[in-house]
Amino acid sequence: MSFVDGVKAAALLFLAAIMQVSIFAQVHVLGGVPDVLLVLLVAVALLRGAIVGAAGGFFAGLLVDTASLGRLGLTSLVLTIAGYWIGRYGETTGRDRAHAPFLSVAVVTILYSFGLLLVHFVLGERAPAGAMLRGLLPAIALNLILTAPVYALVRRLLRPLDRSGLTTEVQLLG
Amino acid sequence: MAPPNRTARVAVLGSSVQRSRSKKHAAGRARSAVLRRLVLALLVLGALALLTISFRSPTSGVLHDVQGAGASALRPFQIAAERVARPFRDAYGYFDGLAGAKSENARLRRELRALRAQSTANLAGAQRAAELERLLHYEQGPTYPSDYRPVNTSVISFPSGPFAQQVAIAAGSSSGIGINTPVVSADGLVGRVTNVGPSTSVVTLITDPDSAVAARDLTTGVSGLIRHGQGNTLILDRVSKEQRVRKDDIIVTQGTRDRRYPDLYPYGIPIGHVLSFGTSDIASYLTVQVAPFASLGSLDSVAALVATKPTPKLP
Repeated sequence: MSFVDGVKAAALLFLAAIMQVSIFAQVHVLGGVPDVLLVLLVAVALLRGAIVGAAGGFFAGLLVDTASLGRLGLTSLVLTIAGYWIGRYGETTGRDRAHAPFLSVAVVTILYSFGLLLVHFVLGERAPAGAMLRGLLPAIALNLILTAPVYALVRRLLRPLDRSGLTTEVQLLG
Repeated sequence: MAPPNRTARVAVLGSSVQRSRSKKHAAGRARSAVLRRLVLALLVLGALALLTISFRSPTSGVLHDVQGAGASALRPFQIAAERVARPFRDAYGYFDGLAGAKSENARLRRELRALRAQSTANLAGAQRAAELERLLHYEQGPTYPSDYRPVNTSVISFPSGPFAQQVAIAAGSSSGIGINTPVVSADGLVGRVTNVGPSTSVVTLITDPDSAVAARDLTTGVSGLIRHGQGNTLILDRVSKEQRVRKDDIIVTQGTRDRRYPDLYPYGIPIGHVLSFGTSDIASYLTVQVAPFASLGSLDSVAALVATKPTPKLP
């Protein structure tokens, strides 16, 4: 990944984190809240791989926790793992597949919600599983709506890498 | 069934296709896998370290100061984003409000007539109370709103899910705000400050499960504790079954101080009105459901109440 790509990804994640805490967090539709930061992180991780996904998740989480004066490291922890996991998926099975961003966003929204629930529970804080479950389906739907425009924007800014040397799938010879 | 024109081809893993490439390439891939795992491990450890320090000292310490400075640096961006979003939010609110505008107008006119009559009676009572207090040299702590300086500020971040009942505001210790400073909106009580940075603060809403506000029914004088209820409602807890409340009674802060449930709010801040009440044979207390006056889900601007008079402390 080039320096310019890194700056672009950082700027996108910074903007998404600010928009998430200041704007999107107050959009409640049927109990669900859209997460533009998560969707953007998925797009960046799919296009730039696991290391960028994990690092992006860490720093984006740090921004969210700092801006909201929340528990520092909590969002970072969950987003780091989410970014890494989606990055690996993008590097292997998911690359060049049209449904990959949508599938990734749906799965990561579920795992991210359960991840946050688990960390809050382990810390002995409020972990309302019922409220989280009630808002999960609307949140997935809202994130899926955001996926197409966000992924298109990120793909335009961060051109997909040439990964021809990374083939690991079954090929037919002959 | 296999197609008859099938050619004999061998399925192999792609990695085997690369076998002809140099060993250097394979070593490079192995190095990249190690690097990838190392970066993940470092980042997860970093996040866990931050989480541990933050958990152990949530409102003080070096990390808290750094976080406060970071929050101050991010504040202009948050305010800018909030200003960009405001016209859209206002437009949504406008069209949303139009739906029930006619019926709401009729209800508000009825309420206005009743409140006008009540206001006249209250004015006379307040004058009389002030005279009596002066005659008796009545000693008391800071009274709301005269002994409080409002720090008017905007809400810059909102609860992002069911985990937090907190908002961040764009004012902090530099404006005189401290831990437990009460926060109100134009409609009523919002909550109290639970974390302070130099120019931002975190307000825990009255709908938080850990929140408990000593409150009283303004009409009947019944006292209780305001706690989190179902959905966006509140519960006036610890009201004995012998006591009576009425629908639409106004609930305000009690202003008393108690070792077990220390009230951090001055007397008389409006909290909400009684929605319903009921009891059962096995319950010890009345179940009083209260609808908050403040729109806690769509807060825009709030005021932190900084006392201008020292607050009495229990010995």
